[in-house]
Amino acid sequence: MAHTVDLPSPEGQQIRTNPVIQWFRIYLHGMKTSLAARMAYRTDFFMSMFIMMVVELGGPLVTVLIYDNGASFPGWQKHEVLLLQGVFLLSRGIAFPFFMGMVWNTIMRVQEGTYDLLLIKPRSILQMSIITAFDSEDLGKLIGGLLLFVYALQSVPALPLANWLSFFFLFIFSLVTMFAFGLFMAGLGIIWIGNYRIYEIFMTVMEFGLYPRSIFTKMFQTIITWVIPLSLLGSFPASALLGKPITDVLPAVICSLVFLLAGLWFYHRMVRNYTSAGG
Amino acid sequence: MTEAIEKTAVKKAQPVFRAVIQATYKENFAFRNNMAVSLITQPVFFLVQYFIWRSVFEAHDTVSGFTFDTMLYYFAVASLIGYLNWDDSDGTLQRLVQSGKFITFQLRPVSHLYYAFFEKVGHRILAFWVEMIPIFCFYLLFGIKPIPAVPGWAILSLALSFVLGFLINYTIGIMAFWLVKTNGLTRALLVIKDLCSGLFLPLTLFPDEVQKVLFFLPFQFVSYVPVRVFMGDYELAGIHMSIPQIVGLQAVMVVLTFFLNRIIWHFAIKRFTGVGA
Repeated sequence: MAHTVDLPSPEGQQIRTNPVIQWFRIYLHGMKTSLAARMAYRTDFFMSMFIMMVVELGGPLVTVLIYDNGASFPGWQKHEVLLLQGVFLLSRGIAFPFFMGMVWNTIMRVQEGTYDLLLIKPRSILQMSIITAFDSEDLGKLIGGLLLFVYALQSVPALPLANWLSFFFLFIFSLVTMFAFGLFMAGLGIIWIGNYRIYEIFMTVMEFGLYPRSIFTKMFQTIITWVIPLSLLGSFPASALLGKPITDVLPAVICSLVFLLAGLWFYHRMVRNYTSAGG
Repeated sequence: MTEAIEKTAVKKAQPVFRAVIQATYKENFAFRNNMAVSLITQPVFFLVQYFIWRSVFEAHDTVSGFTFDTMLYYFAVASLIGYLNWDDSDGTLQRLVQSGKFITFQLRPVSHLYYAFFEKVGHRILAFWVEMIPIFCFYLLFGIKPIPAVPGWAILSLALSFVLGFLINYTIGIMAFWLVKTNGLTRALLVIKDLCSGLFLPLTLFPDEVQKVLFFLPFQFVSYVPVRVFMGDYELAGIHMSIPQIVGLQAVMVVLTFFLNRIIWHFAIKRFTGVGA
């Protein structure tokens, strides 16, 4: 005998549950599914995660080798640069597993023709693209970033609460900037079919955020603050935490919000341009 | 008798290999825009390197024997060699084994090793004009002339590094016969290879003890040695060698890696089973 269950209508669900909580519930479900699928090849999963962690430490390795060879970045001590890079990697470590997966998800689905399946779901396409793209092995990036951040903090004297507050404030905007990057990449993935190298373009551009802002020329400092707020990815939050003087914070924060809005506009514009023959 | 058969096989194989090169070239030509992404990424990556080292050299004339100009020259030549040597033979082999499609190669009268090698040749011929020539011109605009000090030895060293890079990648790909899905392991080994080959950094920047280890590994012969041959002198772990000596050693390493590859293959192929595919 068949059993039937009366499910509440979507409208009914929305009335009863806060949309944000509902969003997180669905996201958690996506996480669980993704992890379960990845566990089919456990050894490969753990190996990949470990490698993600090690690869992330490539940038800091350059820093360590530069300082160990007696050279330095003017005005920055070794542990300060490592802290900056730890902040950068922490931001990337949060972004990549939790929402940056929307990029490969979009590229893959558009190429395979399964993007339509997301479009017909009763949720926003952006939400669906993020939910179905939790990238568990990228957690290695987060672990790598955390390890470096904690390691670099060991060499820093106790920091006042104000520094931590400014750091957290700027770190949120670092994530906002990362999310905007993700939107631009995912949007590009809709029109640039099957090109996974879109990642490479943005990853290379992000490299500017891995080093102190002061090493760049004035023109580049302006670009990475006023045009693409890469300074927010590492340099500004780390400087705030270390209590170093920073200029142009407000323009960078405003720029990151504009960057996010531009990313949202670009993403939805690209979705509108998407055409298919039904997958 | 056997020699005659082998000679006939080689004669027959030559058109096959030419066909593999042409087919790979044409197939990838359709996706040349993917390759052309390097025209954005490499200049940006180089700019980052430029700023890093410009900042470092503001306070120091030399770092580990490199001046600012030689450091930029190193990165320029290393990146061009990186493009020349790039191949996905490890990933291709892994996918063939995982999907079972490798069985079709067991039925063909061509060794998969040579097939994969000539695929690389076809792919890299396309990369030569899509990626390498424009990036070479970019370096010229930047005032860097990636021209070798001893052209004859440099060309020989490049050819050897091309073969060695392929052999290392292919040997890594063979792991798929044991592990089936090797993305993680492959990525690990490729990162180690790139790091130890000097693709990202001159190996002389590493601590002395690490340099001594790197000297005995095959990886330095993929990037570091050809770059140093371009520069006209070789030094690692305090060991100085003339250009003919180090290129000779590179040739020995290619032969050793080839035999190592064949030994591993001998054991790996026994593990392969496939049905239909």
